[in-house]
Amino acid sequence: MSEIPADLRYSQDHEWVRVDGDRVTVGITDYAQDALGDVVFVDLPEAGSSVQAGQAFGEVESTKSVSDLYAPVSGTVVERNASLEANPELVNSSPYVQGWLVVLEVSDASALDELLDADGYQRLLDAA
Amino acid sequence: MSEGRLRRTPLTDRHEAAGARMADFAGWAMPLDHGSVVAEHHAVREDCGVFDLGHLGSVSVTGPEADAVVQRALTVAVDRLAQGRSQYALCLDPNAGIIDDLLVYRLPWGLWTVPNAANLEAVLAALHAAREGRDAAVVEHGERVGCLAVQGPRSAEVLAEVGLDPGDLRFGRALPLPRDVDAPAPPPEGGVLARTGYTGELGYELFVGAQRTRELWDRLLDLGVQPAGLGARDTLRLEAGLPLHGNDLSVATDPVSARLQWATRLGGGFVGEQAAARLAEEGTPRRLIGVRATGRGVPRAGCAVHQGDREVGTLTSGTMSPTLGVGIGMGYLDRDVEVGAPVTIVVRGRSVPAEVVTPPFVRREAPGASA
Repeated sequence: MSEIPADLRYSQDHEWVRVDGDRVTVGITDYAQDALGDVVFVDLPEAGSSVQAGQAFGEVESTKSVSDLYAPVSGTVVERNASLEANPELVNSSPYVQGWLVVLEVSDASALDELLDADGYQRLLDAA
Repeated sequence: MSEGRLRRTPLTDRHEAAGARMADFAGWAMPLDHGSVVAEHHAVREDCGVFDLGHLGSVSVTGPEADAVVQRALTVAVDRLAQGRSQYALCLDPNAGIIDDLLVYRLPWGLWTVPNAANLEAVLAALHAAREGRDAAVVEHGERVGCLAVQGPRSAEVLAEVGLDPGDLRFGRALPLPRDVDAPAPPPEGGVLARTGYTGELGYELFVGAQRTRELWDRLLDLGVQPAGLGARDTLRLEAGLPLHGNDLSVATDPVSARLQWATRLGGGFVGEQAAARLAEEGTPRRLIGVRATGRGVPRAGCAVHQGDREVGTLTSGTMSPTLGVGIGMGYLDRDVEVGAPVTIVVRGRSVPAEVVTPPFVRREAPGASA
């Protein structure tokens, strides 16, 4: 049973978003990290890069596979989680706290309305 | 092949009940991991892990001319294969393409070999072709045989605790099981305990009947041995520099390019020998060698390797080494790209700096580990 915090929003691509004013923190969900297996490498954009909703902005790799990270909303990277360079396994052990990926400054806040809430994300997983 | 049609080892029910991540491997339902590839990998390096290898083939060749059959079908030096020993050998096609790589054992009932699951039919075909006109029998023991690989520094100790003390069994040697019978038989009626493995660690492989396999699995887990899946088996073998058929070896590769000439003693009369001899004399443009990333990134099979602007080869395996914490890989590189040379690995369009190295990437100092 995957953990789905009620205070977050979710994308169809199994990323979570924590909204804080015009900034959002982005990570991958508990379901996604479990499906990937042990994360051994994370490639993230540098601060100042712009990302487009639905477009790949980075990669997360397990021992066996590579997955693109898709931006849940458009915006500019304000910060990336530098601790993942040395400790990518934080994505597994703490997907919603220490394993966050990037902080974005959102260019169009209305795009956040298109994300799922926790119940909607649970239904997405139930349907899978 | 649909999920319902997958072949099952004596332990598939246990993997599923334990919630292992399962996958179709060569038509078998096999565990990729029991929760964490990396944790299973470290358990084998530091303590002990157990793998279900029930998908491996199990083939006996018996009769007065068994030696001649095996010498024809495989690159084994059968006259140097003493009782209770094993040899690593190849099964070649007439062009010296590698059909399979496998261990051949001499045991009290005859010669015995364990082909890779995906290549079992091709190896059986080669053995049956070699049997034509010779007084020998080729018997596949099939799904009734279970195989456990118990690997890691604590492996001898845990085997002693389950009543299978390997004593001072040396690397590459094998004992029939049980040891107290006059007429040892191949598994599943009898069994084999061999000091062999695919991890670079001290370790043993056990081939026994299905019920015995289940009992041993349960007892080993009770002793705290980590169940491990094919994911960790792959990262461990790659760190140990051991090639994997299907990745690093195939019918499109040959013993000279794969640097496996040591396993092909010429003069035995095996299929592919003339082609192998010609390749050995003429040389090959590329050879299988290791790369170790010096920058961030994970090499993968299929990645191109560049030196300056020139493409010098392609990787056939790659991963993030859990032991070293850097990307490692193996591939076929031009022979003029020397060990120690800086290269770049093209990982999905990004250049990752790396160095050419001779595997193994992780060398263990297990007591008596060399044959």
